[in-house]
This record gives sequence, C-alpha cells and structure tokens, in this order.
Amino acid sequence: MERDIGKPIFDLLLLIASAAAFAAAMALPDIEIVGDLSPAFFPKLISAMIFLFAIPCLVKDVREWRAAVPAGGSRPANRRGVMQWLWIVGLTVVYILLFEPLGYIPSTAVFAFCCVIGLLIASGVWGELSASQRVKSLGGAAIFAIVLAVAIYYVFTDLFEIPLPD
Amino acid sequence: MKKLLSTLTLAAAMVVGGPALADDYPTKSIDMIVPFSAGGGNDTFVRALQPLLEKQLGEDLVIRNIPGGGGAVGMSRAVASKPDGYTLLAASNAMLTLEAMGNVPFTHNDFDFIAKVIEEPYVIAVGGDSQYANLEDLVNAATSGTTIKVGVSGVGSSAHIAAVAMANRTGAEFNIIPYPGGSEAISAAMGGHVDAVVLGGAELRSALQSGRLKALAMSYAERSDSLPDVPTFQEQGYDLTLTVWRGIAAPKGLPADVEKRWVDAIKQIVADGSYEQTAENLGTQVSPLYGDELDAFIDQSAEVMREAAGDLAK
Amino acid sequence: MISGYLEGLGMVLQVGTLLAIAGGTLLGIIMGALPGLTSAMAIALLLPVTFGMPPVMGIGMLLGALCGAGASGSIPAILLNIPGTPSSVATTFDGFPMAQKGEAGRALGLAIVASFFGGVASMVILSLLAPPIAEFALRFGAAEYFSLSIFGLVIIASVAGKSLLKGLIAGLIGFFASTIGTDPITGVGRFTFDQLSLLTGINLLPALIGLFAVSQVLKDAFEYDPRQRLEESTHRIDIARPRFLETLRHWKAVVAGILSGSIVGPIPGAGGSIASLVAYDQTRRFSKSPEKFGTGHAPGIVSVESANNALLGGALIPTLALGIPGEAATAVLLGGLMIQGITPGPLLFDDQSGTVYGIFLAYLAANVFMLLIMCLGIKLFIRVLMVPRKQLLAAILVFCFIGVYGVDGDVFNLYLMLGFGVLGYFLNRYDFGTAPVILGLILGPIAEANLRRGLQAFQGDWTPFFTRPISLTFLVIAVGLLALTLWQNYRGNRRSESNASS
Repeated sequence: MERDIGKPIFDLLLLIASAAAFAAAMALPDIEIVGDLSPAFFPKLISAMIFLFAIPCLVKDVREWRAAVPAGGSRPANRRGVMQWLWIVGLTVVYILLFEPLGYIPSTAVFAFCCVIGLLIASGVWGELSASQRVKSLGGAAIFAIVLAVAIYYVFTDLFEIPLPD
Repeated sequence: MKKLLSTLTLAAAMVVGGPALADDYPTKSIDMIVPFSAGGGNDTFVRALQPLLEKQLGEDLVIRNIPGGGGAVGMSRAVASKPDGYTLLAASNAMLTLEAMGNVPFTHNDFDFIAKVIEEPYVIAVGGDSQYANLEDLVNAATSGTTIKVGVSGVGSSAHIAAVAMANRTGAEFNIIPYPGGSEAISAAMGGHVDAVVLGGAELRSALQSGRLKALAMSYAERSDSLPDVPTFQEQGYDLTLTVWRGIAAPKGLPADVEKRWVDAIKQIVADGSYEQTAENLGTQVSPLYGDELDAFIDQSAEVMREAAGDLAK
Repeated sequence: MISGYLEGLGMVLQVGTLLAIAGGTLLGIIMGALPGLTSAMAIALLLPVTFGMPPVMGIGMLLGALCGAGASGSIPAILLNIPGTPSSVATTFDGFPMAQKGEAGRALGLAIVASFFGGVASMVILSLLAPPIAEFALRFGAAEYFSLSIFGLVIIASVAGKSLLKGLIAGLIGFFASTIGTDPITGVGRFTFDQLSLLTGINLLPALIGLFAVSQVLKDAFEYDPRQRLEESTHRIDIARPRFLETLRHWKAVVAGILSGSIVGPIPGAGGSIASLVAYDQTRRFSKSPEKFGTGHAPGIVSVESANNALLGGALIPTLALGIPGEAATAVLLGGLMIQGITPGPLLFDDQSGTVYGIFLAYLAANVFMLLIMCLGIKLFIRVLMVPRKQLLAAILVFCFIGVYGVDGDVFNLYLMLGFGVLGYFLNRYDFGTAPVILGLILGPIAEANLRRGLQAFQGDWTPFFTRPISLTFLVIAVGLLALTLWQNYRGNRRSESNASS
C-alpha cells in the first residue's frame, strides 16, 4: 500500500470546506412562501451531511496512512509528475487570461507550443537532448501549435459558426 | 458634451473599425448576440430572420448564443462591445425585466434600439377540461378563498412579472409557482398539476391549438388575428396591457447610417411579406416599429415592467 | 396508416431528402464527437438551412444531426475518457477501460451497433406508442419529479468508486454546487458572489468537461513519462469494426437500454440526462457478474449506448405529441417544426397525411446513415490514439476551451472548468469518483426545486409525496434498490475480508 498523505489531507479539507459552506448557508436570507422550505434549507442540509460523512473517511484514511509503510528514499518519478501537473495547471490559467485579450490564434498557438515544450522540460528529457534534437523539437512543436490553432479557428468559426475571440 | 462624446466615439470607431463606418456597411460578417440558449423564442426569432437579413445586407449574420444570468451575460456583452454595427443584440422584454428587477448593471438607455419586429401577447390559460370556463370564473374562485396555482416560466421572468400584474389588476390572489421554463409550466398545466399558466402566446401556441389548454385572456389592448377567440383583459374590464416584443438593438452610439441600413433592410423584409408566414407559424405577429416611436414604446414598456416588478417585490 | 407510410416513404426516398438527412447526420457526428459541442448546436446551425426545404427534408436533416450527435458522443468517451454530454458519462465507465486494454476498436464497434439498435427501436416505439407515453409523462408533477430524482440518486451507488461513502460525498458535492445561483423558487441569489455568470447557476458543460476531460488531462500530465514509448501494438486497428453479433449476444443490455431510454427519456427536463445512467445501473445490478462492470465489460457499453440513442426517440415523444421539448436539442428542433408550419400535438398523430410518417421514416433513415458513416469512420477515429501523448494533451485542452467558450462565450466558465478539473483530479485520486458529482449536479436541482415546488403547491403538506401512486412507486423502488445495494456492499466486504484472512 502506497503511503499517501494527500488522502487524509483531502478529507480534512472537505471537513473545513463543508463547515465553511454551512456557515455561508446560514447567511442566506430566510424568505417564507407558504409551505416552502427556505432557500437555505438544502445548502445547510447538504453541507452538514458532507461534514458528517467526511469524519469516518478521515478516521479511516488516517488509520490506513499510519499502517502503510513509508516509501523509502526520494521519489523522482513523483516529483517529476508534480512538476508536469503544475506546469499544465499554470499554463491553463495563463491561456484563460490571454484567451480574449490576445485572440484565439495567438493564444492557442502559444499555449500548445508551451504545453509540448514545457512537458519536455519538466520531464527532464530536454537536458538529455543534443542541440540539433532541441531545434527539431522546437520546430516540430511550433508547426504543430500553429497548424492546430489556425485550422481549428477556421473550421470552428467558418464551418460551425462558433464564435471564438478575434 | 453629448455631441463631443459622440464625435469622439465616431473618431474612435474610425480608427478602430477602419472602413467599417463608410456607407459601404456592412463589409464583414455581423455578430448577433442572442442572450439565451438555442431553441428559445429569442433564438428562433433571429434564426428565422437570418437568411432574409443576409440577403438584404449581403453579409453573413453570425448568431452567438450567450445564455446565462437570464440574459444578463449576453446583454452585458453587447453593452460592452463597440457600437460599430458589427455586434448587435436580439432584444426583448427580458432586458426590461432584468432592469426592473435591479439585478444588472445596465439599463435600456445603454442601447440604441433599431427595430421592434414581432410581438406576442401574454396569455393566461387553463387545462382543456378545466372547470374555469372564463377569466371571470377564475377570478371569482380566487377571490372566494380557492387557492389558484399559476405556473410561470422562471422566477423573476417576464412571464412571472406578467402573472403578478394580472393578479394585481384582477384582485385575485394567485399561488404563483415558478417552473424552470415554459415547457415545464405547460406540461404541469396539461397534467393538472397547476390550475393555470401565464406565458407568451408563442410558447402556448401548439397547446392552445390542440385544445390541451384553453386561453382565458390575453394582454393586448385589442384582440389579435393570431388568437381571434381570446378576449383581452381590457374588454373584460381590467386595465392591463402588456406585450412580449422582440427586435434588434445595438450598444449605444450606433452610427446613424448603420441604423438606417438596418431599418431599411427590416422594412424591406416586412414589405416583402416573406417573414409574415414564418412569424405566424411561430405564434407571433409582425408589428414593426422604428425610430422615435420605438423609443417611446420601449420607455413605456420599461415603466410598466418596473411597476409590476415593484409589485413582485412586495 | 399503411397509405400514410407509403406516402411518407415517397417523401423520404428522394435524392435531395436522403442527401439532406445524410448531411445532417454527418454534421451531427462531427459536432457530437467534439467535447462541448452539442446536438442542440448542430441543429441550431442547420436550422436556417432548412427553411427553404419541404418539411420532411428539413426535419429529416435536423433529425439526422440529433441522431448523429447522439451516437458520436461515445467516440471521445471511449477513446479519451471525455464525455461530451451528460448522457455519455456512463459510456466512459466501461468504454475507456476497454480502450485502455487496447480494445478501443471493439468498444467503438459495440457502441455503434448498440446506438443503431437503440435508435431504430425507439423510432418504432415513437411511431406506435407516442401518445400514451406522452400522457404518462404528463402525470409527472412536482411529487413525481422529486421521487424520480431520489430514484436517480440511488444510481450513485453504482457509479461510485471504491468506497460507497466517498461516492455519496462526491454526489453531495455536486448537489451543493447545484444550489449555487438564483434560487428557483424565491429568486434569492445563493453563493453568487455578484458574478453575473453565476446568476443562473453552475453551467453543466464546464463542470462536465472539467470533471472528466481536464481531470483526465491532469492525470495524464502527472503520469506522463516521455521515456515510455507508446507501444503502438496495444491499439489494434484490425479489431475496429462494427460488432453486430457480439452486441446481439448482450441482448438483455440492449433491451434494458431501449426500455430505459423510451420510458425515462420522455420525461421533460429530467429524462434525457439520466436515462443512460439508469440503463447502466439496471444492467449492472441484475447482471450475474456485476463486479466486471467498470473494467471494460461489454454489456456496460451496450446498455448505455442503446439507451443513448433510444432516449432521442424518447425525447421526441413529448416534443411531437405535446409540443413540449425536454431539453435544448428538441427545443431547437421544435422551433424548426413550427417554422415549417408543423404544429406538434396529439393532432399530428391523428393527421393521416404522409408528413408525420415521413418524419418517422426520415428518423429511421438518419439511423441508417449514422451506422454507415460511423462504420466507415471507425478506423479513422482510432488513430486519435496514435497521436503522441504530449501533443494529444495540448490538443484535448484546446478542444475543451472551444467547447466551453463556444457555448456561451463566457471566460468565467473556463475558470470554472479548470476548477472542476482540479477538483475532479483529486476526487479521482482519492477514490471519490467524478461521476457522482455530475449526478448530483443534474439531479440536485430537480430534487430540490420539485420538493419545494410541491410543498408550495400542496400548502406545506408532505403526504402527497407518499400517496400519489407514481411518486410512491419510485420511492419504494429507490428504497428497495438502496437496501439491495447496502446488502451487496456488506456481503462484498465480508467476502473480501474472508478472502484476505484466508
């Protein structure tokens, strides 16, 4: 059994979030229509239920975590995974930010290019490549990114009449 | 000041829009924002008009459905866009409803209205085999202690406001039950889960035609050709006139020649009569209005909506 | 009636009409296969094109788009674990695991044939039984909708991951998210934080794409290992062909799908998104080997995909028989019908002219074209998996952006999509599962709004929820299934414990 501290932490976060949600639901206005439960009824009920159900999960996951044997040594695979994961999330945020200001084709091309090259760098492969291989990778990624962005833009705006930012 | 502003806008439009301003408008495809999802009354109205407009204007009309916020998202998008005639809005009462409810950061004054094209009445209808044969029966029952359940589409929708206005003007007390949309409200009325529904005439058209629902009254000032047998509120002694209208609007500051180009196009379509049958099939009526008359009409409708929304808040 | 069909056949069997139907089907297939683009958008796009056409030709084209999109939603669901619509969520449960075993072609072959069977059967049901089924759907008032949603929520047990409790929590998270936005009864804003985009609540599509597509991309990004060359032999193209006999061998799953699609599908506003999940749930529950479901088990795919196209016919029932569209796609279709001057309603079925029969036959033709086009394309679809991983990840995200932004042009929804993606990633990683969240999001508002609407209509009286026959039936079935689930769960735990100790 792999030891993963994330599991109990996530349960704990759930507890905190549901408590916060319950508090927020308390602040909802109480409007009385004949026979109706108030608008706050369901949010309160659901957040309370999440809180209650998360407790046994937390207990169980903490117990399992304690019982599991800690993995020995550093785990480069895991660290690489985290880097790649963070890279994609961060890049997506940037893509959203630039989506409308920059317009579809530039923002998409930049995103796709960075996505491909970023994964190469984050995964550590980049450092092993020779200069000519690097140039080839960069060129390949650039062509892929531009073709993808331009093709999609015209297919979707002209053929499917789906509006994309200019 | 106002003149200066419009000159500035004009200049800005020239810089940004380039050739867009000249009398050769339009030179590229035009975005039409529909602030509701595909399939709604607003959407069908524009899509039916789309091929005719494209023929008149000689450019593509791209329909952008931007639903969300009961129309608020699409309308704020329209307000924020350049008034160069390349971003227009399929406008309807919903704008005035949102404004009246006070949920949105814009008013109808932030728009230039190009044309009103079609309209339909609000109709109050009951199940086909309902015990209420006419409005009188319904109002009498409601005032003598029976709870009348009235279905409407969406809380705070224009139909909801219309239902409140009907209750107020007739003195009846309705238990107004909001459904997510018109079709849910209609099926509730057909299934006898509510006593009556208040909706736009177009949405009710097929239900009324098939006899599954029976219209008791409608909110025009005079009887209409599309529902000749349905009496108005006015003729039954209640001072209530409301219409659902649909038309084209643009963000404030639309150049006069662009507006003229559009008005001419719509006038031509109306004169051709090519849209009339479609509008009728959809349960609506072509009733065009332009320019100052239109502005007065919008102002007055906004006033009515504000009053009714005030009633709703009570 | 026979003469009506003959007349209708004459209308359909014309080159122009057949071409229109085939074209509509092709567009539907393309748009349905792209995550986020929906059949409603395909139909709306075609609507202006159909104006000049005769009714059967125009409506046939729109029905083609409906049918094509209904079937092709299975392609991204199977190949990439990305359901483009709520109704293909269940396709991912067994389709994606099968594809991961290298049998993507087999999964697609099953899905295509099952879709075809579902579509044809629902057309027959539509033409014969539409009026009585529509009458049945009308009997659904607030109490019935509430009980239906409770019945639907029991499905969470079937789609939950390893832990039932955690699945339940995931469902509740979705339920809670569904309360965001304008309260459906009082109009009060709940948790909207003054965001215009949140006024109408959380949009289902960004949530769906985030929970499934983005979370999957994040998982792939985490596990991405460039040194691990993709063994191309694992994706066998030679097995990619339609699977008629194998689908027929799972006829029980086909029947479950058709029944569920035709009975649950017609219920306006609720049926469309849960019919295929109901089919999956029932097939699994009454299978001799329920433990195989979720691991790439053929009946899982077959039941869902036959339900998926059967529910289109189901959704057409209230649209044609009552003029009440259940969801967006049929709402646009209804607009198309009315522009053509065809008024839906009971009279349409009494009308002996060929038009209505022509429409039925056009729908049949659309299913045939769907089968043909999908069979021709099947080897092409598989090639998606040959794209190198890092390019594929980038491309998937790009398509997710189009799907989410294209629907309503709202950047806010892109953030929402990413947020749900991150949430979904952790939910999957820690055994909560993402499918229950979607169920909660879909069924939550139905449960809440109808309970409160019912209480408002019954003046605060709870008893009608238990005394109205349909409502009571659903509640009893829901409680029964829940008890069954708990019992099976208990027995399963006991067995695994005794296995572990022995």
